[in-house]
Amino acid sequence: MTLYSYLLISLFLFSCGIIVMISRKNIIAMLLGIELILNASAINFVAYSRFLSGNIDGHVMSLFIIVIAAAEAAVGLGIVIRFFQLKESIHIDSAAELKS
Amino acid sequence: MFDSFLFYLSAFLTCFGAVLVVLERNLMHACIYLLMSLIGTAGLYFTLGADFLAATQLVVYVGGVVILMLFAIMLTGGGLENKKDRLANLLSYIPPMGSLKSYIWGSITAVAFLSFSINITTKLVKSTEINGSIKIGPTVEQIGVKLLTDHVLMFELSSVLLLGALIGTAIISRPSKEIFLERK
Amino acid sequence: MEFNYTVSQVAPIALLPFFAFVINAFIVKKFTKLAVAISCTAIFLSFVISAIIFNDFFFNVYSADYHVHRVFDWFNLDSSLGLMPFKMGIYIDNMTAVMLLMVSGAAFLIHLFSTYYMADDKRFGRFFVYLSLFTSAMLGLVLSENLLSLFIFWEIMGFCSYSLIGFYYEKEGAGNASMKAFMTTRVGDVFFLLGIVALWSVVGSVSYVDIYNAINEGLLNGNVEFLGLSVSLATFAGVCIFLGTVGKSAQVPLQVWLPDAMWGPTPCSALIHAATMVAAGVYLSLRIFPLLELGGLLPLVAYIGGITAFGAATIALVQTDIKAVLAYSTISQLGYMVLGIGVGSYNASFMHLITHAIFKACLFLSAGSVIHSLHDHHTHAHVQEMPRMGGLRKKMPLTFFAMMCCTLAITGAPLFSGFVSKDRILGDALLLAVDLGGSWWGPTLLGFGGALLTAFYMFRMMFLSFFGAPRDKDLYDHTKVEKFSINRNFPLLILSVFTLGLWFSGSFTGQGLVKVPGVENKEWFKTTIVKPELSSLDKFKKYSSDSFSQSPVPSQMWEKSKYDSTYGLSEEEAHHIHHVHHIGAIISVFIFLGGLILAYLMYVKKSLSPAVFVNKFSGWYQALLNKYYFDDLYIGKLIKKGLLPLNNLLSNFDSKVYDRYFIDGWAVVIRQLYRLSNFVDSLFVDRIMVDGTGTSVRFFNVILRTIQNGKVQFYIIVLFFVLASYVYRVTNF
Repeated sequence: MTLYSYLLISLFLFSCGIIVMISRKNIIAMLLGIELILNASAINFVAYSRFLSGNIDGHVMSLFIIVIAAAEAAVGLGIVIRFFQLKESIHIDSAAELKS
Repeated sequence: MFDSFLFYLSAFLTCFGAVLVVLERNLMHACIYLLMSLIGTAGLYFTLGADFLAATQLVVYVGGVVILMLFAIMLTGGGLENKKDRLANLLSYIPPMGSLKSYIWGSITAVAFLSFSINITTKLVKSTEINGSIKIGPTVEQIGVKLLTDHVLMFELSSVLLLGALIGTAIISRPSKEIFLERK
Repeated sequence: MEFNYTVSQVAPIALLPFFAFVINAFIVKKFTKLAVAISCTAIFLSFVISAIIFNDFFFNVYSADYHVHRVFDWFNLDSSLGLMPFKMGIYIDNMTAVMLLMVSGAAFLIHLFSTYYMADDKRFGRFFVYLSLFTSAMLGLVLSENLLSLFIFWEIMGFCSYSLIGFYYEKEGAGNASMKAFMTTRVGDVFFLLGIVALWSVVGSVSYVDIYNAINEGLLNGNVEFLGLSVSLATFAGVCIFLGTVGKSAQVPLQVWLPDAMWGPTPCSALIHAATMVAAGVYLSLRIFPLLELGGLLPLVAYIGGITAFGAATIALVQTDIKAVLAYSTISQLGYMVLGIGVGSYNASFMHLITHAIFKACLFLSAGSVIHSLHDHHTHAHVQEMPRMGGLRKKMPLTFFAMMCCTLAITGAPLFSGFVSKDRILGDALLLAVDLGGSWWGPTLLGFGGALLTAFYMFRMMFLSFFGAPRDKDLYDHTKVEKFSINRNFPLLILSVFTLGLWFSGSFTGQGLVKVPGVENKEWFKTTIVKPELSSLDKFKKYSSDSFSQSPVPSQMWEKSKYDSTYGLSEEEAHHIHHVHHIGAIISVFIFLGGLILAYLMYVKKSLSPAVFVNKFSGWYQALLNKYYFDDLYIGKLIKKGLLPLNNLLSNFDSKVYDRYFIDGWAVVIRQLYRLSNFVDSLFVDRIMVDGTGTSVRFFNVILRTIQNGKVQFYIIVLFFVLASYVYRVTNF
């Protein structure tokens, strides 16, 4: 209803997404978290476009966010499948080969 | 009336779905809860007057991405390992915080986050409804115009991006040579 | 060819033998005969050039003042300002010309004789190497125009004397003798150098002409103070330089080296210890005569000369080695020369130098010829002892003839050169004694006494060797009869020809008494060589020094010499001088006859027996045999009791105190320094810097390690924090 309500929702979604990313050990679960984050930013854009800006640019931006999210999900899942073929596991800690 | 009901429903779906994604151990269930959250987001878009966007969200996100993730989950056999009796172990809900370092970092983060959110919340409580200056109406035409005049570069680039993603994914997830030879 | 006295014409006199020395030093082992030929040719060429100079001085320009003085700057002590230039050059006057001729002539004849004498020695060539160096040094000394270059050549000759005396180094006595000779003359040389420096400090140069001018101007009249005494500068410088003469010319008290020098080969004795090196000392005294006169040293000089002359003659009485007799006779005759300088008889002293050189060289060479012929089959050595000789007159007639001529010359037989020169010296001594009286009788009586003894012992030597029955039959039978050979007899013959008095004086007696018809007023020696006494030093003001590139002054400028023995004196004084000289001549003749008869009675007729005298004066006899205990004094008391303990003390101090504390003590210091630096090194460098680097790296590693732990979720957290900070910063939240 007000701008801030949408911002609050967006904040909540964003933080949930962060928590999912940080706390889940499954790579695909982390991808879910990424989706949440992207979603939150899209809501943010549209909300600002609706309440503070006179034009429709926010919608366009959200559209592109959706596009990019889709592409990124596809690529990411391809990588995950490849990773799974190599490592036989989708635990995030088995991707720690850059450990010093 | 319908506005606020839709808004509150959508908000509830979104937030609750997000919370459940966080809490759910089973990956399949988490995916479905993400689905729920995305549907709630679409509802939010509707309340914001972004009809095309909501439709796109439903089609692409819900009908594409989540299905894709489900496929991937099934392909990698994920989510089958964390089988615990969660209800019996209530302590597992509390995230582990062992060392002093994590306490410090955690407290800093909490302070920052809380200040941010309290800022917004107070503004929310104090403010009145702000009506947007745009008129609520079908946005397809406007978006189409914007896409091809103001943001044409981004439009073209996103198509390139999609192409790249397509090719990349195909290459990355191509089965390896041994599997080829095996099959032969 | 015009003789211009340029460098290339004069320098070869000294340089040709020097080049012969240098060349021979390399080729003597392989090409011995060639080396010998080079040496002899070099000295002959020097003789030729000396003859040319002599010709120029005495036949072209017959003047007392004719001289050639050429200098060049050797180096400057402060070259930018031209301060203290050290000049080198030549100064040839009549005295130099005569000396050059004598030295090069005698040296050439001795070279010739050495080809016979040293022919069967295995170091034959080496002898000529040393001889060439020696002759080049002597000729350089004669040509030199200042005391410094004289000193340089003097020292070179000292070294050559050392090498030649020690030539037969297998014999232990030779090594000791050469060292003794070198060290004894060195004592004199130290004082000589001191005298040169003293002169230089006042006069500013050591050229003869500059010294004469300085004496004339009175620069040397000041006093020098040392050890609380204040002596006149002329006395001090004169004594110091005269001590050089004392050392080199074997005067008392530094005469001990010359008898031991007989360890060397006989031709070396002939050249060095008869003709040239010992004459260099007398030459030096002749050159600084005005200094001695100014310093009042002439009585001292006369006494030293007289004591030497008489003392050496007494020691020669009892010697049995033929070369030892000749050695003491040399010391005695040198004493005569110094006596001559002391009594002011400049001209005669120089003449005695020349005549002595000739007859003494001939005597030594004849003695060498005798020794070489007497070869002992049992010991395979040559015999030098006179008790084993006797009756050699029949076996060696030519040598006997030469030796007899020279003996007659040295003992002062009339008509011979020795009589002319020695008689003039004794006559001048008698003149001073008669005129001035008192202490001047001492040198005079010593001189006449020495002459008597000279006659006696020389004829003793002749009678013991050549007359009577041979004492060693075996030796006599094995001696071959002498045949004439160029190497051996030609030098003897030439030298004995020049012992005639006619060459040196126009009259038979040298006094102008009995003149030889046709050669009146040919007192060439007396008229050209002028004494530079104090009253006549004015003429040296006109003596300039030219650089080497100029030609000599045309001879019209020199007035013909018109000095004679009575120049500048009144009629009375001239008559008195002649009278005293006549008396001296008669006394000399009697002395000669007396000595001859005494020796004849003792050794030929055997009517007097020497044993009687030995028994009566047995104490004296022992003293004479021990050479007046000079050697015991020097070696026993001075060296063993004085110098050696001092040496030991100093060496002990050096090794026990100095080495221990100042040299080895540094090791302790360094050890402590090592400990300190080790501590510093291990603490600062090793621990702080080297280990510290590793520790700091490890420390930061621990910190930074956590940032790169490979965990994706950690990276996401970090990313989130950074983004949040950007947002906070940008939005000023």
